[in-house]
Amino acid sequence: MPLKQETKPKLLWLQGVTCNGNTHSFLNLSSIEILLEQFELLYLPAFATQYSYEEILTCKLSCDVLIFEGTYDPLLERGGVLVDKLLQHYAKDAKYIIAAGTCASFGGMFEEVHPERNSGLLFKKAKSVTHFEKYKGKIINLSGCPIHPEWMGYTLEMILQNKEILLDELHRPKELYGYLSHHGCTRNEYFEWKVDAKNFGTKEGCLFYEQGCRAPMTHASCNKILWNEVSSKTRIGTPCFGCTESDFPRKNLFTTKTNMSIPQDIPVGVPKRSYLTMAGIAKTFHIKRLEDKLIDYKTTH
Amino acid sequence: MITKQLIEHIEGEASVYFDMDGDKVDFATVVFPHFRGMESILEQKGALDALVLTPRVCGICGHAHLMATVRALEDAYKQAGYEVRLSQKAQIIREFTLVMEMIQNHFKWLYMVIMPELSKLLHTPLANKPLKGAYASSLASKAIALFGGQWPHSSYMVVGGITCDPTHMEILQAKNYLRELIKFFENESLGISLKEFLALKSCKDFQSIDSDISSIEKGLIEANMHQKGFAHDQFLVLGKHQCTHVGKLKHTRIFTVDPKFVSTTDSYAPHEKTYAYNALYKDDYYETGSLARMISTNFPIIKNMHRRYKDSAYSRVMARLFETGVLLQHALELLENIDVTQSSTVEVVNVQNISAKGIGVVEAPRGPLIHEVILKDGIIQNYKIITPTQFNIGSSIPEHPTPVQKAMQHNTKEEAEFIFRTFDVCSVCTTH
Repeated sequence: MPLKQETKPKLLWLQGVTCNGNTHSFLNLSSIEILLEQFELLYLPAFATQYSYEEILTCKLSCDVLIFEGTYDPLLERGGVLVDKLLQHYAKDAKYIIAAGTCASFGGMFEEVHPERNSGLLFKKAKSVTHFEKYKGKIINLSGCPIHPEWMGYTLEMILQNKEILLDELHRPKELYGYLSHHGCTRNEYFEWKVDAKNFGTKEGCLFYEQGCRAPMTHASCNKILWNEVSSKTRIGTPCFGCTESDFPRKNLFTTKTNMSIPQDIPVGVPKRSYLTMAGIAKTFHIKRLEDKLIDYKTTH
Repeated sequence: MITKQLIEHIEGEASVYFDMDGDKVDFATVVFPHFRGMESILEQKGALDALVLTPRVCGICGHAHLMATVRALEDAYKQAGYEVRLSQKAQIIREFTLVMEMIQNHFKWLYMVIMPELSKLLHTPLANKPLKGAYASSLASKAIALFGGQWPHSSYMVVGGITCDPTHMEILQAKNYLRELIKFFENESLGISLKEFLALKSCKDFQSIDSDISSIEKGLIEANMHQKGFAHDQFLVLGKHQCTHVGKLKHTRIFTVDPKFVSTTDSYAPHEKTYAYNALYKDDYYETGSLARMISTNFPIIKNMHRRYKDSAYSRVMARLFETGVLLQHALELLENIDVTQSSTVEVVNVQNISAKGIGVVEAPRGPLIHEVILKDGIIQNYKIITPTQFNIGSSIPEHPTPVQKAMQHNTKEEAEFIFRTFDVCSVCTTH
């Protein structure tokens, strides 16, 4: 639904069960000041804005863009008022509702606290839930634990510019989540030639085979749009934990589950037979350059 | 008469119940209403998963949680007979990113909390946009991300070291972000060079400066905060780092400490259910955080400040600002000492071999953060977290007040609310 152009759209940020990580991640956005100047800020958790939280709790205002951070718990109260009541009230008139982070999108970390009732706004893991079904058409999921600041920046700018945001089946913007976290990883050549990282703390090797890396199975543009504008988990040797997916957090996050030495989960959309054929061929070669250190400080001194 | 005040724009949510005597606070109790159950989430998970889960306790100091976890796990390895000896490189990089997280916290607190709240208290217009703090903090986050991949919620510290293996290029980039941040601190916050700032000897020296920090200093004096907000004048520093002096302090006298004497008790909150526990050291309440850490050092200006204004709200705020400078300088020195030729990790046995208890203690921005883990065959049997806000912002009975309760007493409600914030409150950590 397009926004009216003559006035600044009203922005409201509410929180469920959360660590505040999405708020703090968003504060890293370098264009945040220019971006937020284009909105009338009703309330943000990070700093004082137009209204106090107590005024928000009275449910006498309305907003155009509602951001919700944290797991949805129907019994959670904030300031003595059910968050559910706040969400139902502000969702009614909002043109867009942004679920900021994996908790708000799929339940995330804190779904486990009350699994019988906690969820995201539209999904509990990958399964649809009904609480906000009537607002389904205006809910955008920005999964990620936490949200990537640039992804929130993109979504708010697209809304301001009245541009259509194409969503995938889990309501995530395709321009952000059409990629895999694997795309742009600096270790891709090691993946292609099946050269494992034997240990943590090395520049070389792929983390997919032993260290639990989920990048080939994770929809995210972390290695295209870098974190804090400088890096990503896999670039610095930490496996991708698949934090943008509905099943985050999985268990045994630093270990790749294998069957007969073959990773149980293989890259999205690749037929197992094709993967095994390619992997089998690649593994028969020994590429010395890839088995050596990228930089041997001892011999180049 | 009891009045309830919802405290906004802290990390999470808290309520203070003021028992007023006329227009002054006779006593106050504190409620942290939200519970997330992080400790039970961790039970029966593989030990290494804690490195991913615990940073998600808190959006602003998750890196401190990561370090507390890795230290707890490495201590469990040690107790099980497999001592982990980190390379110097891993130790330095861990400390660098921890320090940078403290710096990002302090800048946000300065521009998003203290300056706006002081303006509100004094009924003066706000001189700076709060997002000025976000800019400074984002520079610190970039420097962390060069080693940690991202901030918040990095998991780059692993048992035996760190996952990154930087070249001189990343170190140079981190140095450039740090230099930019120091330039911001000098030009925008201080009005003098960092070197001159760290060489200040007396609180009077602030009077000759015209900057954000001097306006805060003047505002604190104008609001009489040098004569208000006194806690117990006893402090606790538990996290061992290159930049800390571990000890408990009674006034300025320092004594040795052992984290085993830390305990928790139920909060006294008669008006509403709270999910927080109070943290004590040898059954007594101590203040933690920047003021504690700075008093444990020998900086002349801190000694002067304490002599004049003791542990007032003024000292609490100004010590935090001074610590920002100290940490910026320390971060620069750390970067100078990274030897890229050293290993990032040392070899460790598989965690499935570990059945032991481990304790990890670090200094988080607000003070000591303690993680305690019990492992059986590498699986978490029990996990306990004690956070700095539990030391500072406990809620106890009038006969045995916590630091914040004592500090708020005998002030107006508005002053008490400001004093509450001088401790830098983290509700999300407290009700982990």
